Amino acid sequence: MKVLGIETSCDETAASVVDDQLHVHSSVIESSLDEHRAFGGVVPELAGRAHVMMISSVVERALVEAGLDPHNPAIDAIAVTSGPGLIGSLLVGLAAAKGYALAWGKPFVGVHHLEGHLFAPLLEMPNLPWPMLTLLVSGGHSMLVLQSGPGSHEILGETIDDAAGEAYDKVARWLGLGYPGGPEIDKLAQRGNAKTLQLPKSMTGEGYDLSFSGLKTAVVRATEKQGDLAVEDVAASFQGAVAEQLLRKVRQALEKNEVKALSLAGGVAANSALRQGISKLAEEFGIPALLPSMQMCTDNAAMIAAAGIYRFQHQGASHMNLSANPNWQLVDVS
Amino acid sequence: MGETMTVLLIETATTTCGVGIMIDGVTEGVVVDRNRNHTEFLTGGIDEILTKHGLTPRDLTRVVVDRGPGLYTGLRVGIATATGLANGLGIDLVGVTSLQMLARGALEAGVRGDMVALIDGRRGEVFAQHFILGETAVALDEPIVATPLEIVERMTGLESVSLWGDGVSRYREHFQTLVNATLVPLEIPPLEAGLRLGAEAPPELVVTPLYLRDPDAVANFTTREQRS
Ligand SMILES: [Zn+2]
Repeated sequence: MKVLGIETSCDETAASVVDDQLHVHSSVIESSLDEHRAFGGVVPELAGRAHVMMISSVVERALVEAGLDPHNPAIDAIAVTSGPGLIGSLLVGLAAAKGYALAWGKPFVGVHHLEGHLFAPLLEMPNLPWPMLTLLVSGGHSMLVLQSGPGSHEILGETIDDAAGEAYDKVARWLGLGYPGGPEIDKLAQRGNAKTLQLPKSMTGEGYDLSFSGLKTAVVRATEKQGDLAVEDVAASFQGAVAEQLLRKVRQALEKNEVKALSLAGGVAANSALRQGISKLAEEFGIPALLPSMQMCTDNAAMIAAAGIYRFQHQGASHMNLSANPNWQLVDVS
Repeated sequence: MGETMTVLLIETATTTCGVGIMIDGVTEGVVVDRNRNHTEFLTGGIDEILTKHGLTPRDLTRVVVDRGPGLYTGLRVGIATATGLANGLGIDLVGVTSLQMLARGALEAGVRGDMVALIDGRRGEVFAQHFILGETAVALDEPIVATPLEIVERMTGLESVSLWGDGVSRYREHFQTLVNATLVPLEIPPLEAGLRLGAEAPPELVVTPLYLRDPDAVANFTTREQRS
């Protein structure tokens, strides 16, 4: 079976064709990121406007690159992100998906964006060992997920305030760096001393919950008090503290749960400190570390198609009256 | 005339969602929802009107969509659906404006002379366009965003004027002060007039929403920059 995936939950307009062997036939991603830079964050109305402009050309390119007829593609279903995300953006992808479904007489299925992220490693690494522990960190989400198999997930803990990516953006803005903050801070941190600032370590106690808001505040206070700090050192200290917290929780989860693989998902998975730390931890526990490529970490439609194949095969198609759910919780997907 | 034209209309510019079908010049319009649930009911409404006439999407030769001005989210849902449908089928796509549809509806209803199309623009404003109706509807200006009071001021000197659209009902208290005006509040632009308008128009490669306002963040940012 072949599925067309469509993703428009944030600032990426993406489409992809994936088959049930999880082979990616095409993956097209356009982004309106440049339009948002000046505002230091994604502006929902701008993102919604950009999706309308790009959606049909992105879908057509994905079909053509997969060798399919864009007016009568040999696909079996359409998978589309129906939440969580920006409502005005989600609706564009969903409405377009319904239009294509109607045109081609194909079923469509609404997919949870984060379940998509959880499927991303599967697209690059076949025959994964289960159960798997996944650290999912992005601009909007930070959580630790235990997966007993594809589509079966238990959230061990998640952020109680800001997502990791959000904290990066806020600290970057405070330091006068560009948006998005992740790559900017990561780049500077390479040349800085992570021991310069004493940042608080344990914010959420013993459980698996995460917290980054206090860390951001601590950076602000420290730099206010000490004006002559090198930005590289602040970046390195902050990045070190974020990674320390995340990796400490991952270690804790590895100690208490029998897992056969450790994976990293979401946009922040592109972060070098996190990638190194996860590799080291996996090595220590004698399990493989699954680090998806940058393109598979950030938002894309191949992961949505992959999760859609699973949902379609196990639960069937969505109804034509499906609406977008901007606050859809991963725990409600089963 | 060899080819038969089978046209579908998608209308989502106001809180009311509608679809229309035109087969060999015969039109039918149907309201599918009145509560802003365009996403939920639009596709089902299209499916229903096609089935009712014994058609499948493959029988369509053209999709016409109201590109606004109107509800931003509604427009995006309507245009995305229309684009998916038309591009998926490889058939013509046409955008008409909600204001043109109102003018065409008034023309077909026999209205002549000054006519103003008014779509509720939210935030205390309307989207408006002034037409002169004779043999055809001729626009006197570009579509604008204005307060109801500004529209009232502009219309005061006219001998008579006909005001059409959901903007009329939304701001009735302002427009009924115009003694020279005939008020025609419509919850949705006239679907059958929209079908005829769209059937005559040349097809487009891309249809983009007619917003008439900059996105909020851009507006704020520009103001902030200018101040500093
Ligand atoms: Zn994401």
